[in-house]
Amino acid sequence: MRLVRDLGRRKLRSTLTITGIAIGIMALVVFGSMANKMNALIGGGSKYYQDKAIVSVGSMYSGNIQPLALSDVQKIESIDGVAAATPTVDMLLSSEGGATSMGTPEMITGSIPGGDKGLETFKIDLASGRELTAADADSKVTVLGSDLARRLNVKVGDKVALRDVQFTVVGIWAPTLTAPDKDAYVPLAAAQDLFVKSLPPLIQSKIVASDIATGITVYPQKGVSPETIKTRIEDLLGKDYTVMTGKDFDAMLGSFSAIFSLVLTGIALLSLLVGGLSTINTMAMAVAERTREIGIKRAIGASRWRIRREVVLESAAIGLIAGLIGLVIGAAMTTLFNDLGRESGNVLFELTLGTAATAIIFATGLGAIAGFIPAWHASRLDPVTALRYE
Amino acid sequence: MALLEGSNLRKTYRLSKRNTVEALKGVEISIEAGEMVAIMGPSGSGKSTLMHILGLLHTPDPNHGPAPELRLAGENVASLSDNARTRIRARRMGFVFQDFNLVPTLTALENVLLACEYAGIKGKVARDAAIEALGLVGLADRADHKPSELSGGEQQRVAIARALVNKPEIILADEPTGNLDSDRSTEVLALFRQFNREHGQTIVLVTHDSEVGEACDRVVKMRDGRIRNSGLRTGTPVMAVPAATAPATA
Repeated sequence: MRLVRDLGRRKLRSTLTITGIAIGIMALVVFGSMANKMNALIGGGSKYYQDKAIVSVGSMYSGNIQPLALSDVQKIESIDGVAAATPTVDMLLSSEGGATSMGTPEMITGSIPGGDKGLETFKIDLASGRELTAADADSKVTVLGSDLARRLNVKVGDKVALRDVQFTVVGIWAPTLTAPDKDAYVPLAAAQDLFVKSLPPLIQSKIVASDIATGITVYPQKGVSPETIKTRIEDLLGKDYTVMTGKDFDAMLGSFSAIFSLVLTGIALLSLLVGGLSTINTMAMAVAERTREIGIKRAIGASRWRIRREVVLESAAIGLIAGLIGLVIGAAMTTLFNDLGRESGNVLFELTLGTAATAIIFATGLGAIAGFIPAWHASRLDPVTALRYE
Repeated sequence: MALLEGSNLRKTYRLSKRNTVEALKGVEISIEAGEMVAIMGPSGSGKSTLMHILGLLHTPDPNHGPAPELRLAGENVASLSDNARTRIRARRMGFVFQDFNLVPTLTALENVLLACEYAGIKGKVARDAAIEALGLVGLADRADHKPSELSGGEQQRVAIARALVNKPEIILADEPTGNLDSDRSTEVLALFRQFNREHGQTIVLVTHDSEVGEACDRVVKMRDGRIRNSGLRTGTPVMAVPAATAPATA
């Protein structure tokens, strides 16, 4: 194409300009992929919390879990507007504590299969094996999330040690791109045992394992909002208890994703500034160097519009090429980082078609716009003066 | 009716805040179809300016005198917009300049095709016309060469092919032999004469090369922004020969 030949006139200069934009686009792609993953995580969590309220004492995220009594469950179930309340026992998989760098930590979660009375809307697909049933109540069986299964390198039928206790894997979930990927789901009784074992001996002696829960999931009746339930639970149980609804979750994590969006926008603006200015400079130099040529073209009948189009197309091409290069390198980096992190269960990047398309369109548009001013100047050159330019 | 005629043509250029140059002080000129005319004069005589106005690259000044007139095939073109003038240049005129005629990144064929593109000729028609034009100047076999691979004389011939490809009503050439040695000059001149004699192509050349002047039917002499004499050369009369009665030439 004539365009590519024009870019090849000054190979070093074109290369430098393209590299500048490509670096910005690469950063956009990498951080965009990280943001996609974050949004999937948060989005998944938000979806999960939408139709229910979770009761706990203290905060799971600060690792400060204090047990609830099973009798609390009956109290809550008797509240007007509550359709079902079911106890859960959650704890970190690793007894050392401390979350992984980004995303959610690996957890053991225990509950009663069917305790939701069919009200749970967050469906997880099975990749292999089967779900837990009521018959598993006293067994040491588990269904694993996709990331956890991969990290532990097990398949259905294998035995796996959760907090030093042997479990049989009966099922593995399909990827959800959010928290459950890192969970080991066990029957309530097994989770209660594991939880009690993790407590200091003095406290262990005072607790009956089968009597405790770390959280209660409460499902409202049709037409009743989780916020209404939340108020009623708080009234009933008092200030020591924390009740979290979807709104609370969104508020909590909203600032997190807002910061991420800010970082992303900042990167976009920065690469816009740097890349755009660099392209304007490059095109201005190209126009100056081709002054006589522009004079010839205008003299033999090229309209001003045609000259403008030529310049804008060339600078758009610079943007497009840079976008493609930045995308390819960014994709390579996200794949590399994901592969490196997969073993430890940290798959932090998700390069979607949307992110890729945005990167290309952004880069090309940036290039085109950067060409507007040099194009305008080129089109306004007087042909005769331009022809004689030394 | 003359093909291209103008009167009261004036042009003053402003070089800086206080420095203006009165390049044309009132010129009347008439070019008949089929003529090959040379415009000659010392530097500063206004000959290039006259050609720029005849070629619609600049417009004649409307003030400081009677209204200028400029007609191409009877149409008034004295005060057209830039777009309108550009369109006429593209479709009805051809240009050859002294040097640097060609786009360096394009081959000879592509350079000629540029003129087709601007004239609205596309596709196979354009390609065929371009190859034919290159053939007429004897460079059909060099169609894929870039200007850097062509000699000065060959580059000039490509420029002539480009000027011809849109079958213009008039070709304007500004010092076309200025940068060529005498052998190449003669070649280029011969091409112009051939197109004029055999095809009736109207050609206006600005030059200070007397050999070019002698090859033309008429010489317009300019000095200090005015025409000094616009007479026929003594010797061969000039009219373009209509195709029907064209004698067989050797």
